[in-house]
Amino acid sequence: MKVRVDDRLCQGHAMCTLACPELFELSDEDGHAFVRQADVPPELAEKIEQAVRGCPEGAIQTY
Amino acid sequence: MELQMDRYAAQQNPVDFDHHSADHAANWPSAFAELRANNPRPWSERHGGFWIATKFKDIVSIGQRPDFFSAHKDYDPVTGAIAGGISIPAIPGLRGVPNETASPEWDGVRTFINRRFSPRAVEAFRLKAQQFAAALIDDVIETGRFDIVEDFTNPMPALVTMELFGFPLDEWRAFADPFHKIIYTPRDDPEFPNTVRGLDYFRQRVEEVAALRRIEPRDDLLSHFANGSIDGKPLDGETLYNLAFNILAGGVDTTTALTSNTLIHLSRHPEDRERLRSDRALMPLAREEFVRFFSPIHALARNVVEDVEVDGWSFKKGERVLLAYSSANRDPDVFDDPDRVILDRFPNKHIGFGAGMHRCVGSFLARIMFEAMINEVLDRIPDYQVVEEELVVYPTIGNINGWVHIPATFTPGTKVGARIE
Repeated sequence: MKVRVDDRLCQGHAMCTLACPELFELSDEDGHAFVRQADVPPELAEKIEQAVRGCPEGAIQTY
Repeated sequence: MELQMDRYAAQQNPVDFDHHSADHAANWPSAFAELRANNPRPWSERHGGFWIATKFKDIVSIGQRPDFFSAHKDYDPVTGAIAGGISIPAIPGLRGVPNETASPEWDGVRTFINRRFSPRAVEAFRLKAQQFAAALIDDVIETGRFDIVEDFTNPMPALVTMELFGFPLDEWRAFADPFHKIIYTPRDDPEFPNTVRGLDYFRQRVEEVAALRRIEPRDDLLSHFANGSIDGKPLDGETLYNLAFNILAGGVDTTTALTSNTLIHLSRHPEDRERLRSDRALMPLAREEFVRFFSPIHALARNVVEDVEVDGWSFKKGERVLLAYSSANRDPDVFDDPDRVILDRFPNKHIGFGAGMHRCVGSFLARIMFEAMINEVLDRIPDYQVVEEELVVYPTIGNINGWVHIPATFTPGTKVGARIE
């Protein structure tokens, strides 16, 4: 599984960094989220699922 | 004739709703629950007429379509004429920048300020926030009694905001008080015009200190405003003031309301207070839950700039729509058991900071200030008790869901020697 943040939708709510700080980080430029790496290790799959469900803008997608 | 037809269409789901009424202040959770269940897309004839979006999904959809639902406000400083903007009814005398702008103006302004409010940038204020919180508790800790709003949650964010701007700290009251009052004074109150005039001093000081910073820049926000440029052009006086006003407005009363409501909740729910006191690792989740539950920014408006349909809801150009974030955050389609505070609720996709491109720029700083205040209380006066019969809620919570007075008592303690400097 891979994960990405759609920067057209992300507004920096930062719920993903609460769900999975291992993979999400916030930009110094605008506080918007980006992924450190697209590949999701199996042990983080559940946290990523929470990040997807917790994003108010629907900006996080797995693929 | 066409106008009448539009009007008729708009009145299909009428409701007698005024978010500024005393009844709404007292009963908003049940009033919104009723609307969400039976009339989720109602039209109110108050304040010139407006739609009310009460469902989470509708509010996010509208927030994400700024090309049709604009926050832009027309304001003519010469005639005082206003139209549009994010308040219903409009606040006279000024225009928020960037919260009452649209693209492309918005893009330039946000690019100009975003970096100053990034998580890394605001981290620099954490120690100051803790120091101010400690100093304010020092001022009252030997007495065993304080007013949570007057002595703590109002001054603290104001002091941090002064620090952020680069204003002398001892001027905080002259800046915070007028704004605090504009927010909770109803428009039909005879005092309202005087309250708005209270902002004149803020404008004067913005101009004076910005002029000083042009000569001798420092590492503060006013220096950034005075010497920076937006889209290649230096800020004109009106933009600089409107931008400063928006930062002040965003900074001083919202965090105040969030922290005030939270401290009332923790006084009424000793089990939550003890849980948070003994397990501070809970703070980030608890903090977001309080933002959800109390939604300090109660509701904001958008203006329809072109006929549009959102998921079967038709809007006509020129109509206004109130986005009730406070209602979205209690929407049972999104949140289980929405009317209960669950400290470790997660995921928690609240939109207490808004949704779409106008979402709060200062949320990371707000979170730091909130944590500093709650930690200080839990550390130093953990047995504080709100005096319920002396609580005074805002006469209107239509802008911000806050309190005028929250008297509280506690077992006196000793000062730690923190100073406001």
